[in-house]
Amino acid sequence: MNIDQLPILNLILFILMALIIPLLKRRPFKITLILGFIVLIFVTISSGYLLWYVNNVRDISYTFGGHESRYGIEFLITPFSALFTIVVIVLADIIYIYSSGDATDGIEDTEYGRYYILLFILLLSMFGILYTNDLFNTYVFIEILSITTCAIISIKKKKDTYTSAFRYVMMNEIGSLSYLFGVGLIYMATGYTNITLVAEAVEVAFVNYPMNIIIALGFMVVGLGIKAAIFPFHIWLPDAHSSAPSTSSAILSAIVIKVYLLVLVKVLFNVFGVEILNEMNMPVILLILAASAMILGSVFAIAQKDVKRMLGYSSVAQVGYILLGIALVSFFGLRAAFFHIISHGLMKTALFLSVGEIIFYKKTRKVNDFDGMGFIMPLAMGVFSIAALGMIGIPLTSGFISKLNLGIAVLENNYIIFLVILIVSSLLNVIYYLPIIILAFLRNEKYHYRMTTIEKTPRTMIFPLIILGTVILLLGLFPNTIMPYIEAAAKVFFS
Amino acid sequence: MKIFEMILDNVNYIGAVALFLIGLRIVVLHTNLIKRIMGLNIMGTGVFLFFVAIGNVSGGVVPIVGANQENSVFVNPLPSVFILTGIVVVVSITVYSLSLVIRIYENYNTIDQRELSELISEENNEH
Repeated sequence: MNIDQLPILNLILFILMALIIPLLKRRPFKITLILGFIVLIFVTISSGYLLWYVNNVRDISYTFGGHESRYGIEFLITPFSALFTIVVIVLADIIYIYSSGDATDGIEDTEYGRYYILLFILLLSMFGILYTNDLFNTYVFIEILSITTCAIISIKKKKDTYTSAFRYVMMNEIGSLSYLFGVGLIYMATGYTNITLVAEAVEVAFVNYPMNIIIALGFMVVGLGIKAAIFPFHIWLPDAHSSAPSTSSAILSAIVIKVYLLVLVKVLFNVFGVEILNEMNMPVILLILAASAMILGSVFAIAQKDVKRMLGYSSVAQVGYILLGIALVSFFGLRAAFFHIISHGLMKTALFLSVGEIIFYKKTRKVNDFDGMGFIMPLAMGVFSIAALGMIGIPLTSGFISKLNLGIAVLENNYIIFLVILIVSSLLNVIYYLPIIILAFLRNEKYHYRMTTIEKTPRTMIFPLIILGTVILLLGLFPNTIMPYIEAAAKVFFS
Repeated sequence: MKIFEMILDNVNYIGAVALFLIGLRIVVLHTNLIKRIMGLNIMGTGVFLFFVAIGNVSGGVVPIVGANQENSVFVNPLPSVFILTGIVVVVSITVYSLSLVIRIYENYNTIDQRELSELISEENNEH
């Protein structure tokens, strides 16, 4: 087999798995689970191999049907897409193992299969978005992704999930159509949808049809901004993420919004290019949005009484950090943003999964009920604490490294004000994460009697939490192990 | 007169943008959930019209090479092909959101956004 076909094979495996699940409906559910796990492991290995290949040998380009890339669809695997596919698939592996315990709480037994169908289609679309080098093809994958994410939110037969899913679908669709309008304007001005060809033609097009390019940039940034929950467009996120099942929230918060941010990176740097961005003052606009997200997201999070809503608002603030890195329009900024995408993915997954375990056993989502929880569920609460400390940016965790990198990138551009905002936002994080940890572990006298009520957790739920906790710490101690890959990914945009 | 001519020349694009904005207004401001879904469809139609208008070449013919058409100008077929995919996507979004509206109606007995928000906030206060 040709190595060029390996990315396509990944996508085919996902879609085949999604098609096989309904056929196995009458068999024991374990068979489906094991088969799905084999598929995930295979894709993990092949993505790992692709990451090695593109970093050491060459970029892979594959055109469907052998058409020229100006007519056909092209898949382009660069160090950027290879790195983030492996991040997506590793996080998905962990969430998959966790969900194969009985953590699919609130979903009826007969609907387990449906949950996994959606999961595999979700992965298919995210891989497609990262691999494809075609603006319209990106739109198609984005739409698949938004339908499946909405469905995965509303899979629980609970009242409030329907309304939040409805709001999500409306916002999402406005975003997608804006993006499509942008693609139309670019096609009108340049005559291509292939990103590489557009990038070659966009300079000339900007001189000849400046209005087209300006409006297209506006539409695309707003459209992707709605989907990635960039600050003024974040209103759908807390509802959607808090009413979804815990495993879905982990997928949505840790992976899905990051994929949209990565599309934004691709659009900003590959399609339009730094010069056009600077000419239209886009970095300044994005910096202001990022700063307001960092501050206000955290402020909103403080006011929440529901743990999952709090985590949702915290995601809004974290998107602000990533956007800050992107908006600096420098190699260091992009490097910090990419590192934060990875470390926030790990930390948010850990937070949502450990909270999910607590919700599963204690049936409580109130922040106040977390008093003494460290004695009842030491492991879940321990991982929660590691991840929360990472969110604050305590040294030894991966969160510290990403804030350090962001700080370096900000100082390189001499934006002292953003360093201040970064620190203020970290302090706000302290306000809402630290009390939970302190109350859970230190307020003990009253709760010692509860020591007897420790429930035995399924191994499939504990194992992913332990992995996440150790990886967060390991990345904090040895960030240089993944730095070369991140730098290679950032170099794709600054060659 | 010049403005009038310009409008006449670009009537496709102006119509597309108008449809997009009308749809956006309905999605954002209407309280009836089904009307909001219809607004989404109008928005989508605006974008599709825009794409088809890009592909149009004045005086162009259908891009099929026939006996008598070898030297004529062809319409660009690619945007229309894109839009076929786009239509399918919007149809599936419509179906999904209508099914959500059915579920919402079963649970709350209303499809008005304002009444829904009141019901939800009442429920939250009870807990």
